Amino acid sequence: MAPSKAKHACVISGGFTVLSLQFSTESTAQHNIFVKEHRLRAEKTPQRPLDRTLFVLNIPPYCSEGVIRGLFSQFGPIQSVELREKPGSFEHSTSKLAKYFTPARKRVFRVGYIVFQKATSITAAKSHPHDVPLVVSTEQRPVRTGLKKWIHQYKESIVQTDKMQEEVDAYMQAYDKRKNEEANQQKKQAEEQQEDEEGWVKVTRGKSGAKARPHSEMANQKALQKESRKRKRKELMNFYTWQHRNTQKEHIAELRKKFEEDKQRIALLRAQRKFRPY
Amino acid sequence: MKGDVEEKMELSESSHGEEDYGPTVAKRAKPEVVPETHGVLRPVKLSRGELYKPPTAEELNQLKEAESLFHCSLLKMQMEELLKEVALSSRRKQQIDTFVQNVTELLQTVSQTHVVEISDLSWLSGGVKVPFLLVPKAAKGKFHMAPPVSVSVIGSYPLGTCTKPGICVDMAVTIPADVLHPKDALNQRYPRKRALYLAGLAQHLASFPSIGTMHYSCLHGNRLRPLLLLTPAALPEDYVLWTPAGFFRPSRFHPQRNNVRTDWYTGVRSSQTETAEPPTPHYNSSVLGDMLPMSHMLFLSAVSSRCSSFADGVALLKVWLRQRQLDQGAGCFSGFLGSMLLAYLLNSHRVSNTMTAYQLLRNSLHFLASNNLTENGISLAKDPDSTAPSLAEFHSVFQVVFVDPSGHLNMCADMTASTYKWVQHEAVLSLQFWDDPTVDGFHTLLMTPKPMIRTADHVFQLCGLAQLQASCKKLNLLNELMDNSGNYILTALPFILSLLQRGLGERVQLLTHSLSPDPEWSVDSEAPMHKFLPPLSFGLLLNQEQAASVLERGPPADSSKAADFRQLWGSLSELRRFQDGAITEAVVWEGDTSSQKRLVPHQIIKHLLLLHADIPASCVRYIGGMLDDVIKPGRKVCSTGEEECLKVVQSYDDLSRKLWRLEGLPLSITSVQGAHPALRYTQVFPPVPLKLDYTFFDQNKMSKSLVPLEDKPCPVYITPIKVICQMEGSGKWPHDKLAIRHIKAAFHISLGELLTRQHRYTCQPSATHLDVWKDGLAFRIQVAYHREPQVLRESLSPEGLLIIRDNEEAQALEMTTIHQPLLTSTLHGLQQLHSCFGAVCRLAKRWLGAQLLSDDISEDTADLLVGFLFLQPAPFTPPGSPQVGFLRFLHLVSSFDWRNNPLVVNLNGQLTAADYTEIKNDFMASRESLPVMFIATPKDKKLSMWTKQSPSVQMLQRVVLLAAESLKVLENQLMDASLKQDIRVAMRPPLDAYDVLIHLCPRQVPLLNQAVDTPHVTFSRGTLDVGVPKAGQAMPVIDFNPVSLYLAELRDAFGDLAVFFCDPYGGTVIAVLWKPKAFNPLPFKTAQMVARHVKVTGEEALTVPNVEAILEDFRVMGQDLVKSVELRTEKWLV
Repeated sequence: MAPSKAKHACVISGGFTVLSLQFSTESTAQHNIFVKEHRLRAEKTPQRPLDRTLFVLNIPPYCSEGVIRGLFSQFGPIQSVELREKPGSFEHSTSKLAKYFTPARKRVFRVGYIVFQKATSITAAKSHPHDVPLVVSTEQRPVRTGLKKWIHQYKESIVQTDKMQEEVDAYMQAYDKRKNEEANQQKKQAEEQQEDEEGWVKVTRGKSGAKARPHSEMANQKALQKESRKRKRKELMNFYTWQHRNTQKEHIAELRKKFEEDKQRIALLRAQRKFRPY
Repeated sequence: MKGDVEEKMELSESSHGEEDYGPTVAKRAKPEVVPETHGVLRPVKLSRGELYKPPTAEELNQLKEAESLFHCSLLKMQMEELLKEVALSSRRKQQIDTFVQNVTELLQTVSQTHVVEISDLSWLSGGVKVPFLLVPKAAKGKFHMAPPVSVSVIGSYPLGTCTKPGICVDMAVTIPADVLHPKDALNQRYPRKRALYLAGLAQHLASFPSIGTMHYSCLHGNRLRPLLLLTPAALPEDYVLWTPAGFFRPSRFHPQRNNVRTDWYTGVRSSQTETAEPPTPHYNSSVLGDMLPMSHMLFLSAVSSRCSSFADGVALLKVWLRQRQLDQGAGCFSGFLGSMLLAYLLNSHRVSNTMTAYQLLRNSLHFLASNNLTENGISLAKDPDSTAPSLAEFHSVFQVVFVDPSGHLNMCADMTASTYKWVQHEAVLSLQFWDDPTVDGFHTLLMTPKPMIRTADHVFQLCGLAQLQASCKKLNLLNELMDNSGNYILTALPFILSLLQRGLGERVQLLTHSLSPDPEWSVDSEAPMHKFLPPLSFGLLLNQEQAASVLERGPPADSSKAADFRQLWGSLSELRRFQDGAITEAVVWEGDTSSQKRLVPHQIIKHLLLLHADIPASCVRYIGGMLDDVIKPGRKVCSTGEEECLKVVQSYDDLSRKLWRLEGLPLSITSVQGAHPALRYTQVFPPVPLKLDYTFFDQNKMSKSLVPLEDKPCPVYITPIKVICQMEGSGKWPHDKLAIRHIKAAFHISLGELLTRQHRYTCQPSATHLDVWKDGLAFRIQVAYHREPQVLRESLSPEGLLIIRDNEEAQALEMTTIHQPLLTSTLHGLQQLHSCFGAVCRLAKRWLGAQLLSDDISEDTADLLVGFLFLQPAPFTPPGSPQVGFLRFLHLVSSFDWRNNPLVVNLNGQLTAADYTEIKNDFMASRESLPVMFIATPKDKKLSMWTKQSPSVQMLQRVVLLAAESLKVLENQLMDASLKQDIRVAMRPPLDAYDVLIHLCPRQVPLLNQAVDTPHVTFSRGTLDVGVPKAGQAMPVIDFNPVSLYLAELRDAFGDLAVFFCDPYGGTVIAVLWKPKAFNPLPFKTAQMVARHVKVTGEEALTVPNVEAILEDFRVMGQDLVKSVELRTEKWLV
C-alpha cells in the first residue's frame, strides 16, 4: 500500500505524504507529520484556495506559525499559515480583542493549513523524501522551549497598565456606540408603531429580536406551571370513598416498595459480604 | 484452605436464608434482579399488579412492625443478616459436638497417680510444664492425678451465644474432691493444684493425635486461672478446659477476708493474727469464680429459655463489644458479663421477655449509659444468704461491682473504673448515633472497628513493663501485689490511672487503657513472665479547650489544698501572682506554638510518672505528634504551621478592611471573600512572609516587576492568595460577556491604582486579576459581578427566544466566585470550632500529594472529606489531634462504600433527615451518571460539583487501595515500638507501577524544601533571612513554578496518550502511565493522529503512538528542567 510516487517520498492511504520532523539536529527520534493538498468539496473560501493550500497533520506543540512558515518556505514562498486544534472550516479569528483578553492557547498537537503563493510548492512539499527530516530548531532560528520559554512567557505576561487601560477604553467606547445605535433603532421602531394623527398604526413584520424584551423559555415554563397548580388546588382529595381507599392503597404500595428496596440492598450487600463485622 | 471451605459453606447458607423474612412477599417477588453482577443499585421496579395487590393480614403485620419498631426496616434486616454471619452453622456444630464427645471420653481415662508433695513435679514427663508462675516457690500440700468427677460443656456454646470468629467452646472438668483439701483455699494452694491438674490433663491428652495442638492460656489474664486451649487440626476453633470445683464454703471468700498470708508470701515470719492480715479480694474472687461456673450456667440457661431472643441479643452485644476491643484481656467486659447484664435486665423487668434482639441491645446500651456501676453496683442475687457481703462491702474493695446470682462473687473484680467509664462512654455515644436519623446506625454501631489508636486523640505506651515492679515499691503496694499474686501490672495500673487522672484533670474527657491480652504459650514451655507482655497502652480523649493550656493554676497559697497540689507536682509547683491579684500555686509548661502546646499532656505524664511511680521518660512512648514533622513549614521552625496560617489570615483581614474603605471607586464593593485554602487554615504549607534579594532577579523597567533569570536556580515560589471582590450591581454594568470582561479589567486597574496611592502597596493588574504585594505575601484579587454567570448562560435563539443553557464556562465562573469563597468561609468557621481541623486537612493533603494523587482528589474535595470527619464523627468523637484525624481520614477513604452511598457533608448542620433521604433517593435513581465519588453538601445536593472532574473510577480505586495500605503501615508503625523504621514510609509512593519516570533537576524545583524526605542540597532562591518586608517595592515573581507549567504542557499535549503524576510539594519525579487504550493500533484517521506514526502492514496502514518521539518531546518541552527520562517498562513496544 506504500508505493512511492517520488523516489523517496512515503505516501500512505488517504493520499497523505509522510514527512519526518525532528526538534534539533541532535535529536534521535522523529515525529511523523502528514501532508496533503487541501481538498474539501463544500468549502470555497478565498483564504484557502484549493490548489495552493497544504493540509498538515500532527504538528507538535512547540511549532508556532512562525516556525512552520520557516520550515515550509523551503518548498516555495508562503502566503499564510493557519494552525488549529481540529480540522474544520475557516473561521475569522476574533482577534480584534487585545492580547490581554484572548485566552491562552492550548499547547496540543495541531493541524495546519499552509497557503503557498504558487501551486507548484505543494508538489514540492509532497515529494519531499521521508528520510530527510525537517528540523525545527536550528542555529539560525532557535526555538525556545522549557525553562527559557516559561521565563519568556512570564515576562510577556506582565501587563503594562496604561496600554491595557487604553484597550479597555477603546473597546468600551465602541461598545457604547453600538448599544446607543441599537437603542435608537428600537426607539424609532417604537415610534413608528404609535398612532399617527389620524389614528392609523403602521404594522410591520418585526425583525427577530427587535422586541424590547425577548420572550424567555423560563417565562413560558412558569406560565404552564401556574396553570397546573391552579388545577390542582381546585381538586378535592378526600371527598369520595374511592379516594380514601386509594390513599390507603398507595400507602401500602409505598411500604412494599421500600421493603423491596431494602431487600435488594441487603442482597447486594450480602453478595459483597458486607455483614461480616470483622 | 480451611477458610475456603468455610466460605463456600456460608454462601450456600445465605442463599437458603433468603426466604426467612416475609414469606408472602418473598414468594411474590420476582426472581432476584441480579444486581450482584454490576454491584450498583438500581431503583426497584415493581409492576403495578404487585404493588397494588390486596395485602394479607400477615404481610400487613410485617410491614407495620418493620415501620414502627425501626427507623426503617433496613436496620432490622441488616441485624438479621449480621446475626446470620456470626452464628455457627449446623454442620459446624455437629463437628464441634463430636469433638467434645471425643475429648470427654479421653478425659475419663486419665490414670490415677501416687500422692506426692505439691512442689514435687517429677511425675510430669514428656516436657509438659506447669502453667503457673511458682512465686514464692514453697508450698504445702499433697497432690495426685485422678479421673475427673465430671466433664461438661459450659459458657456461650451451650447457650447458643457463641459467635464467630474466635469460636471458643468452654469445657469444665471438675477436679475430684479427694485431690483437694479444705485448707487449700489458702496461700495459692488450690490454684497451684488446679494448674498441676491441668498439666496432668495436658500430659494425658498429648498422646492422642486427634486433639491437635495444645496451648496454655489464662482466663482474662488472670494467672491464677490457667486454661488449656485445644485447637484440633481439622477445625479452627479453640476448646477451653477449665477445672472448676464446688468445694469450698463461699463465705470463706468474703472480699474482706484474707486468704494469702503475708508471711507465706514474703517468706518473712511475723506475728500478725488473721484479723490484722490485709484482705485479698482479688485472690478470693478468682478462687470463688472457679466454683460457680456450673451454677452460672444453669442460671443463664433458665433466663435464656424464658426469652426467645436472648441468644441473639447477647450475640449483638458481643459484636458491639468486640468492635470496641472491650471483650478480651485482663479486666474486660466479656461476653459472659454481657449475658449476665441481659439476664439482670430481664430479671429486674427492665426489658420484657418478648422483646427482639434489636430492643435488647438498645436497652442494655441504655442501661450501661445511664447507670454507673463504679458507684452504684448491681446484684443478681435474689435473696442472698446472710454470709454474703453487702454491696457497700464490695464497693470498698472493688472499683466496679456487679454481683453474681450467688451473692458472693463480684464478676467485675478485675475491671478498672476507667474501663467501665469507657464502656459507658461508648454506650452513650452509640445511643446518640442510633437516634440520629442522618447516621447509618447499623454501620457505626456494629460494623466499624474502633481500635485505640483511631479512637483516642493521644496514645502513649509504657514500654519495659518490668519498671512497674519498681513503681509498685514506690507506691507502697505490697498488700495489693500479694492480692494479685505478684502481677505487678494489674497491681500498679489502677494507681497509675488515678494519678494521671488527677494530674490531667480537666484536660482529658476520658483516660483509658488497653486490656493486656491473654498470654498464650505452648504446653512444653514455662509460663511467661509478666514483663514479656506487650506494652501497656493508654488512650487520652482530650478536652479541646483545656488540653493545650500551658498553665496549671492551683489553689491559693494559704488554702488547705495547696499542700496536695505541691505534693502532686513536686518541684514544678511554684507561687505565682496573677493579673487578678491572686497569688496561687501554679505549674507552667513549655510550649510556644500550638503544636508544642498540643503535647503538654506528654510533659505532664512524663513528669508525674517519674515523680510518683519511678517510671523514667525513656519508658514512656508518646504517640501524639509523630506525624507533625511532615507538615513543618521550615526546617528550623518547630511549629506545624498554625501560626503562619494565622499571620496570613490577619494580613488578609487587614487587606479586606482596606478594600472596604477605598475611596474613589466608581461602584462600591459589596463583599470581599477569601477563596484560597490558606485563608481557611488548610494550606499544606502556608505562605510565609518573604523578603527578596533584588540582585537575584532581572527587572522589568517599565512595570517595576522582577523577572527570573535564566542562569540562576528557580526563584522562590510565591503562592498567590486568591481573594474575590464582589462589586455592587448597577444598571451601568453591560449585559454582554466581553464587555463585562473589559469592565472587570478596568476595575482591576483602578483598584490597583487606589491601593498604591492610598496604602503604598505594590500592585500589578491584568485582565483577569490584580496582584497585590503586601507584608511579604501576594494576594490575587479578582473582581466579580454577581450577574455574570447568568449572562454567560443566556443566548438568543434565531426566533428571538431567550434560552438559558448551562455551560462549563458559567459553571467554572460560579465555582471560583461563589462556591469556593463560600466553602472557604464555612470551613474557616469549622476551624474555629475544632482547632485541629486545619492540621488534619494539611496532613491529609500532604499524604495525597506524596502519593501523587493531588490532581485526582482536589484540595477542596480533601477539605470536605476531612470536614465530614468533624461534622459526622460517628462512631467516634470529633478528632482531637491531627494524628487521629489523619488516621480516620485514611480509614474513611478506604472503607467508605463510594459506589452505593453518597457522602453527605452537613456543613453548618443545614441538612435535615428529610434532606438526607432526598439526597439518597436522587443518588440511587441516577447513580450511573453521577461522579464516582459523590459528595453532597447543603448547597449542592444533586450534582457533587467538587468531584465532577475527578477522580475517575480507576483513580478512586487506587486511592482506596493506597489509603488502606498506608493506614495499615502507619498504625503498625505507631503502635509497635520495636519497628525502627521512619514514620514517613506511609508518605513514600510506590513507583514501580509506572511506565516512565521523568526525573527533574532539583535546582529548578522551587518547592524542593517541602519534600517528604529533606533534600541533601539546598539552593539559594533569592530570599533574605533578615528584616521585614517594606512597602513600595518592585513586584516579585509570583506563581512561577516550572514544574506545574511543565505538567500542564505535558497534559495538554499528551493527555490522550498518558497520565502524569507528580507530588506538588517538592516532588522531583514525574511519573507517567501510558493509557492502554491509546496503544491499540488504529486505522489512519485524520482526527486521531496525535503523536502517532504509521506502520504499514500489507493492505492496512495502522497507526500507533510514536513513543520514541514522545520521549524526545518530554525532554524538549522540559529543557533545563528535566534531568533524565527513565523507561521502566517495555509495554509500549507494539
